[in-house]
Amino acid sequence: MKKKKMLLSAETMDVSFVRKVEALSGTSVRRCFQCGKCSAGCPMATFMEHPPNRVVRLLQLGQWRRILEGRSIWYCASCETCSTRCPNKVHLASIMDALRKLSWDAEGPSKESYVQLANKLFLQNIRTYGRQYEMRLAAVFNVKSGQFLKDLMLGPKLITKGKLKVFHQKNKNMTEIEKIFSRIERMRENGEAL
Amino acid sequence: MTPKNILKYAYYPGCSLHASAGEYDLSTRELFKKLNIGLTEVPDWFCCGATPAHNVDELLSLSLCAKNLELAEQVDGDLAVACAACFSRLKTTQHVLGESDVKRKQVEKAIDAPVPLNGNVKHLLDILARDLGLERLEQAVTKPLAGLKVACYYGCLLTRPNDVPNLDCVEAPTIMEDVLKAVGAETVAWSHRLECCGANFTLSRPGVVVQLSHAILDSAKSAGADCIMVACPLCHGNLDIRQKEIEGVYSTQYAMPVFYITQLVGLAAGLGADKLGLDALIVNPMPLLKQKQLL
Ligand code: SF4
Ligand code: SF4
Repeated sequence: MKKKKMLLSAETMDVSFVRKVEALSGTSVRRCFQCGKCSAGCPMATFMEHPPNRVVRLLQLGQWRRILEGRSIWYCASCETCSTRCPNKVHLASIMDALRKLSWDAEGPSKESYVQLANKLFLQNIRTYGRQYEMRLAAVFNVKSGQFLKDLMLGPKLITKGKLKVFHQKNKNMTEIEKIFSRIERMRENGEAL
Repeated sequence: MTPKNILKYAYYPGCSLHASAGEYDLSTRELFKKLNIGLTEVPDWFCCGATPAHNVDELLSLSLCAKNLELAEQVDGDLAVACAACFSRLKTTQHVLGESDVKRKQVEKAIDAPVPLNGNVKHLLDILARDLGLERLEQAVTKPLAGLKVACYYGCLLTRPNDVPNLDCVEAPTIMEDVLKAVGAETVAWSHRLECCGANFTLSRPGVVVQLSHAILDSAKSAGADCIMVACPLCHGNLDIRQKEIEGVYSTQYAMPVFYITQLVGLAAGLGADKLGLDALIVNPMPLLKQKQLL
């Protein structure tokens, strides 16, 4: 990636966003002293333009737009290695969660929409079936992402091995799960939850 | 058997065990039956939300898990969980809601019920190693897995996060090795036992999964392992189902069977291939098991 010069000024440093991240993640962004231990252990750091320690640093400097514009948060595998090893108890995995949620809410264009698409379909499946329906998840993902041929060779073998179920048992108590989804939506509309 | 020795649990299989990881479910039920441990499936359990839910919506993730904890209350006994991801999510939910009154109130409003925070959530490994105990496990062995060299793969979520009461030491766990040694197998020392396999990127970023899982297979192979043992359906999918693809990309051959813990322990307890779902594994384990005279 081409290096962009970072200008720190009252306009570019937006710390209110950082407070939101801290509230959502329940962890402190300010505690980080940039030892780099999180990034050293992160299995996904090579795929990110801002490795975990830099994500925290950019937050400290109010430069969150740089993070949301990039792909780092969508390449985090939620493996918790960073949080486990941080000497300052910065819960980086939760920060990554908070950043993804805020990015999702803003619904700005994301270069990494495949990951978002997969997540969205996963949650839709819960709302419709109560449980995951792997066959449908894979099929719909492939159609919607335009990757018709992806994993085509894996499919038949998995079906004969009984690994992909063509028929799916729906949960019996679907009204219950729908209520949870809609109650959360209502709480957000009323400003009772982030 | 005196009453206090009768173990029984509420069982949360999780979505994968009812689909792509059917053999994990089957071998768990058969093994526990063999060991006289009662399992009653939680009625009408829901998906815990796994990684996608907390990835984008913590409140939803906490609420789904809390709902399951509430449902589990209907069944007697601690909650037994097979999938490492479900286990981590359910435990994390209890922990987070125990720490934050604000979040607990939000979740209780979302599920319209109080959240039981004191129930024990236990991974199958915990039940085998501690509740049943290694000694009694040893006594149940009829066919020791002698000569089988196993790479125990923890992956990331089994022992994490570290601020939540844990299954074992977060950086140097031994519980899988302990269980396997009790059933007579050898375990190898290897570098990648806690590294991430790429987990749920299997759908959206298979290239990432291929790269990370290759490193794991390679490490196990070079440590001299005959096979890998896992406790998570996602790890299994990435290492077993994708192994052929990985071999293709890296022009190499591993032919490394990937077993679930319940399959290997079940084998040692005398269960046959059909009761352990061994035919559902993509990398055929039969040549290895025959060579070691375990089948
Ligand atoms: S490990 Fe913790 S203190 Fe060190 S750089 Fe990462 S977040 Fe900062
Ligand atoms: S949780 Fe995400 S950021 Fe942290 S080590 Fe794992 S992949 Fe890296």
